[in-house]
Amino acid sequence: MTTATDPRSARAFRFVRRGHADGVVELTYAFDDGDELVERIVFPDAPAIDPARAQAFDAALDLLHFVAGVSYYKAGVPDELRVETRQPDAPTAAFLDALYLHGLGEFAYHNKLDLRGRIRFPPQAPPTGAAVVGAAEAAIGGSKGIAASAAPTESTSPRRTLVPIGGGKDSLVSVEMLKAAGVDATAVWVGNSPLIAACAARTGLPLLNIRRELSPLLFEYNKQGAYNGHIPVTAINSAILAVAAVLYGYDEIAFSNERSASSATLEYDGQPVNHQWSKGWEFERGFHERLHALVSPALDYYSLLRPLSELAVAERFARTARYDDVFSSCNRNFRILGPKPADRWCGQCPKCHFVFLALSAFMPKPRLLAIFGRNLLDDEALAPAFDALMEYRDHKPFECVGEGGESRAAMHALAQRAEWREDALVARFADEVLPQLDAASLALAPLLAPAGETRIPAALLPFVEGARAEDRPTDALR
Amino acid sequence: MSSASAPAVASPAIARPWVVAKFGGTSVSTRPRWETIARIAAAHHARGRNVLVVVSALSGITDMLKRIAEARADTAKCREAQVGIVERHVALLRELELPSRNALDGWLARLDQLVVDPRRTSAALDWQAQTYALGELMSSALGVAFLGTQGLEARWLDAREHLLAQPLANQGAWARHLSANVPAVPDPAFAAALAARGEVFITQGFIARDGDGGTVLLGRGGSDTSAGYFGAMLKAECVEIWTDVPGMFSANPRVVPDARLLARLDYEEAQEIATTGAKVLHPRSLGPLRRAGVPLVIKDTNRPQLAGTEIRAVAADAAPCVKAISARKGVTLVSMETIGMWQQVGFLADVFAEFKRHGLSVDLIGSAETNVTVSLDPTENLVDSDVLSALATDLAKICRVKVIAPCAAITLVGRGMRAQLHRLSGVLAEFGALDVHLISQSSNNLNLTFVVDESLADDLIPRLHALLIRADALRVEDGAVFGPSWRELGEPAATPRESWWRRERDALLKLAGEASPRYVYSLDAVRGQARALRALGAVDRWHYALKANPHPAILRALHEEGFAFECVSLAEVEAVRTALPQLAAERILFTPNFAPRDEYAAALALGVRVTLDALHPLQHWGELFEGRELHLRVDLGSGRGHHDKVRTGGDASKFGVALDQVDAFRALARERGARITGLHAHLGSGILDAGHWRSVYGQLASLAEGFSRIESLDIGGGLGVPSRPDERALDLAALGESLAEVKRAYPQFALWMEPGRYLVADAGVLLARVTQTKRKGGVHYVGVDTGMNSLIRPALYDAWHEIVNLSRLDEAPATMVQVVGPICESGDVLGANRRLPDCREGDVLLVAQAGAYGAAMASHYNLREPAPEVAL
Repeated sequence: MTTATDPRSARAFRFVRRGHADGVVELTYAFDDGDELVERIVFPDAPAIDPARAQAFDAALDLLHFVAGVSYYKAGVPDELRVETRQPDAPTAAFLDALYLHGLGEFAYHNKLDLRGRIRFPPQAPPTGAAVVGAAEAAIGGSKGIAASAAPTESTSPRRTLVPIGGGKDSLVSVEMLKAAGVDATAVWVGNSPLIAACAARTGLPLLNIRRELSPLLFEYNKQGAYNGHIPVTAINSAILAVAAVLYGYDEIAFSNERSASSATLEYDGQPVNHQWSKGWEFERGFHERLHALVSPALDYYSLLRPLSELAVAERFARTARYDDVFSSCNRNFRILGPKPADRWCGQCPKCHFVFLALSAFMPKPRLLAIFGRNLLDDEALAPAFDALMEYRDHKPFECVGEGGESRAAMHALAQRAEWREDALVARFADEVLPQLDAASLALAPLLAPAGETRIPAALLPFVEGARAEDRPTDALR
Repeated sequence: MSSASAPAVASPAIARPWVVAKFGGTSVSTRPRWETIARIAAAHHARGRNVLVVVSALSGITDMLKRIAEARADTAKCREAQVGIVERHVALLRELELPSRNALDGWLARLDQLVVDPRRTSAALDWQAQTYALGELMSSALGVAFLGTQGLEARWLDAREHLLAQPLANQGAWARHLSANVPAVPDPAFAAALAARGEVFITQGFIARDGDGGTVLLGRGGSDTSAGYFGAMLKAECVEIWTDVPGMFSANPRVVPDARLLARLDYEEAQEIATTGAKVLHPRSLGPLRRAGVPLVIKDTNRPQLAGTEIRAVAADAAPCVKAISARKGVTLVSMETIGMWQQVGFLADVFAEFKRHGLSVDLIGSAETNVTVSLDPTENLVDSDVLSALATDLAKICRVKVIAPCAAITLVGRGMRAQLHRLSGVLAEFGALDVHLISQSSNNLNLTFVVDESLADDLIPRLHALLIRADALRVEDGAVFGPSWRELGEPAATPRESWWRRERDALLKLAGEASPRYVYSLDAVRGQARALRALGAVDRWHYALKANPHPAILRALHEEGFAFECVSLAEVEAVRTALPQLAAERILFTPNFAPRDEYAAALALGVRVTLDALHPLQHWGELFEGRELHLRVDLGSGRGHHDKVRTGGDASKFGVALDQVDAFRALARERGARITGLHAHLGSGILDAGHWRSVYGQLASLAEGFSRIESLDIGGGLGVPSRPDERALDLAALGESLAEVKRAYPQFALWMEPGRYLVADAGVLLARVTQTKRKGGVHYVGVDTGMNSLIRPALYDAWHEIVNLSRLDEAPATMVQVVGPICESGDVLGANRRLPDCREGDVLLVAQAGAYGAAMASHYNLREPAPEVAL
């Protein structure tokens, strides 16, 4: 290997080429003339590509190439983005500009970088014949932009849905909704995580596990001090699933991002920073539009939980105990499934704290404590952590947690309940925090009502908005 | 009927005694298992016994029948389960090579009827009982047919004709149908009538009839219960419960591999053990047998030669003794405080009335003047419904309620518990550092229960079990009560470990002849251990933690084996550099604890890798670390290990940065432009459970993902070395597998480990000569020429080192002795209660496993020189 250039001093980040053979997608990038960064994505048991879908597949691959580049681009954030494959059309370039800017918002904040005005995908030049045609573009065999390539795929068979599983409560709530609606769904996940695999297996759905191998050179760059930090991983997974949908013949991709994912975590230098921008509404709408415009108007991308608050998702999760001993929403991202609750819940991070509080409002106390293996609300040392969740004296942490109002309402509900109110942090809330709050703002019910924009197919809406599922049959001999 | 055939039917001049033998689901699911049943029944029969075989349904069948009930309107799901049930039984029928399907088809037709029965969609209770009963009816029918083909004429007995359930007061409809009770007492008329019909019978577990003649079930563990009922009614000679484990154990063997088989228990003890944890026997089966005076034996189907666990009435001469320790998890405590009314009349009555009203059964009770605390077992009801909330709401009207959970109830079981309290001081000390929520001791004197936080239980149980043995409270040497350990049963061919020093005996005696005392190290043994570790693929880099033994010859040998080095002081760094002057500095890891500033400065100047385990260095000496690469040692918060002083995790341990300070550490590092490139955790020593490192590795990896530049994860050492002959060695293959699993999930991080003791403990021995012998009362002392000044582990950690008389290695052990050193400390004991050949002045004693933390921890106490070292 030649000596790696320092990405931070590179002038350009290059989208070199992308290809596919036998279910293996290779995405190639480089900084200036440095070594190529090659990411591989492996789709198991991939069928041969239906010629009718070849154009859609190519378009999905292009989109993936552009989106997944963010992992590598961020190592140096050079001024120029150079596309040596087919150029994106103007709306796609604008979409990618927004994705890179907002998706790297937290990254920029932590690395003290200002990316505004720096990210400019070159839009496809008007087809005057004067357009610069890259070598790779010639190899693909068309100088036309990808925008025009898509043709609607007619399908009369029942629609098939990919539902990505993350190991946390949200996607499992979606799975149960899809099952209730009788949707032909496949649980899909990217990466090698025994914990997610265990959750996926528990769904009872058909499974699809896609492997992703980052370029080892990226780790080499990181070692040498390249920029590193948070990337919009949901966007990358979305683009991977778009390729999968075309490859295996799915019609819908149902993510599990809820309403509060759209709100900014904090403001930095006059710019809103959202830890989970690619889980937000703006990304969802933009990505869906790109899929329709570029890949296929028949491929739908939406989030099933979009109209729901975190609390509403927690309420729905509590309806079944099916996943109690396998799921984890802990931000420590446990991928290994251990036998003990402490192997899945660190008990230290805001996600653990919030999910504990949110679920506490909706499930029997012994069940919740069995899930976590401990009672976080009876631990005085965690008072500052729960204060932060309630936005009492502190700002909201950089995590995917609910809004302050949700935490306050959940805590208020516990303070009314005899089995909770003597616990240290609940008692403290009642004594210290509650007197300073407007009691009218603390009701749970309004927070549970579906609200806001959504792109959920009409047939599924009743299952998202629905009241409790019918009671499960009695279990005589357990 | 011709008179010639009459004698075959009955000539009951002397009634043949009855044996009831019960077989569970896995024991009736395959042909080999049925052959075993045939063999066991035939053997009893040949001994002149009448035999009643009680069988469960084929394994998994009851669950499939339940699925039919749960399917409700989902006809497809219902059909799928039904097809599965038919297939399983037809497959077994073929495997058993039964000539006709008659035995089965009637019951399968009945299943057809029940599936289309309108009661199914509402899962009516009587329909459920009839449906679930089919599992046992079918397995027993197949069994009768098969035994016939094996030349054993067995008769099919419908259990429902003989077990008549009696409703209990307050018993709900659910329990009347699905968890019924049968008042079973010895019934000589029934026994005689049965004997008149034949000598070998097969009947169904789990099922009975009610007063209306309808089918009812006996609830969980119902087949054991059936065997108990029939055993009592027939006043059997014995009831045998045939299962897949050798019997009941002194602890759950999956948690405590050293748990001992319990050879004999009385009914009450067995009931207590079965109630507080053991799953092998349902406690309900014991009541009728105790009243009828019928003994019960638990036997292992795979190893019928083992005696198993025999349960009978208490022996007159039974000495008080702890028999078992168990843990029940998921326990909820409800603590109730009176609201300021001293001696409030009727408080307890009011409180307990609420529990009754909400249908919650209280287990343990602790009470004081103003507080009563009770425990609730983790029933479905408690976990799935809001009953606890409703209870708490009602209780809150009469007292202050606090719900404490999740807890574990840790119970010591044994007759005469109060008579043994004096022996339990070490055991009780273990609870000293923990928050014990409740202690309960019943007046029947069979148990002593501690309720603690559930997360503590898994680590606590093996320690308590070992302490109970050490305290002589669990008297495992009493062969009448205790059988072999689970581990011994699992590894019948366990060969004693071959020690290098047995082969080198002559050379060692010669060395001891030249000078005594002395430490002797085998470099071959060090290399052997090193190669075994290097063979584990998952670990990218091994370090030797040289605090265990910094002898230069060992350092050089391990360097040749590809090991890097982990040092905890600047002097250790210097020792490595002196022994290996060519070694690249980055092969040295500097991981000190509370070291002074100048040691870090010097280490950084040398270019070795530095690990910080506190905020202080970055806060106060930040300029030292400007632009440097650092490793961070975190405290994952749960200490474990074989002794308090070698546990290095948890708030009470001085090592590592607490998880809640990791962000602060990162911020400080960022301010200084220092890069955190490695995470390290080390939670204890002497760990023999391979799963421990998987958990540390998984936790570190998940933590490392939140960082930007982590390259390596150092999961420490602590690889246990068994000391006692019956201890199992660490399973390296299992370790390698579990590490590889984590590696697949987090391939971006290099995996490092840093064992110390594992590499060198067995490679070193301490040779010492006998100076004097002494007898005081019944105690014999053998004094040697060095003691805690050379080897302090026995005094410091209660460590057990094998000791042999090398001069008389071939002589049989004779006297029980205390091997002591010459230091003026009563703790200067190298080995207590050792059986050695008679020792004479000048004999050479060998203290094994002295290669780690022996010479390294030696002192000049009493101004006695510690033993010098020599490497072979």
